[in-house]
Amino acid sequence: MKKGVVILLLGLALAAAAYGCIYFACTSSARNLERSSQPELAWLKEEFKLSDSEFQRICQLHEAYLPKCAEMCGMVEAQNHRVKTLLAATNQMTAEIESAIGESARLRGQCQRNMLQHFYEVSRTMPPEQGRRYLAWVQERTFLTSEGMMQEK
Amino acid sequence: MCPSPFSLRDSVWRGVCNNVNMSMNEPGNQDAALGKLLQEWRADAPLPPHFQQDVWRRIEGAQTSRAPSVWTAIARWIGTALPRPALAASYVAILLALGVTAGWTQARQETARVKGELGERYIRALDPYLVPRQ
Repeated sequence: MKKGVVILLLGLALAAAAYGCIYFACTSSARNLERSSQPELAWLKEEFKLSDSEFQRICQLHEAYLPKCAEMCGMVEAQNHRVKTLLAATNQMTAEIESAIGESARLRGQCQRNMLQHFYEVSRTMPPEQGRRYLAWVQERTFLTSEGMMQEK
Repeated sequence: MCPSPFSLRDSVWRGVCNNVNMSMNEPGNQDAALGKLLQEWRADAPLPPHFQQDVWRRIEGAQTSRAPSVWTAIARWIGTALPRPALAASYVAILLALGVTAGWTQARQETARVKGELGERYIRALDPYLVPRQ
């Protein structure tokens, strides 16, 4: 009986140890990504199999793009606030509302042009096959989705 | 005289009578008073109601209580079958495989979740229209 219990517990302990070791080993790459200074870019490097030089160039492009993006964010936010104020002030279409809507559309267009330009630059930095995959991936999540419009509401 | 042999009780009684008769026939046994008394004795007390059913119920109850429970069976299996080398090796190997499979599956899900989140964070960093607004 004692020997049987020892074997029973040994099997359970081995199963638990195997689970822990495999889980720890297989999630190490994800943990490393999360621990890095720029997890999103570290993920990009791993996902699109970038070399160090390609990654460095993409980091530069990313850093250069972010201030422009932040500036656009501020403009979009201000414009949204303006449209909201105008809509709250009246119950009919006015010239100011029309102008504000036009400005919102212009900002959105400009934002999309900047983004697309950045995506093209990044994709050109990658190996051709990865670049095509990257473009398809980012376009799917930015231009070809209605999520942004949903969040605008 | 012995009662007629139609029941268990009667059979037992007949055996007692036979023994008494045999003892009486033995030479030197002169306890005639005892023999006479035994022969005159009548066991005519009625059986309690549902006697047979009660007897069978008790027999069945005793058999049921002797049937092994699941835990007893498992304990017996652990004590007798598991220590056999072939079975022990198979048991350990199966649990090891289960642990590895479960760990690998969970790790894959966790890695996919983390990578999915990081991809979304990358996109949200680039697209002002995806930034959550209050």
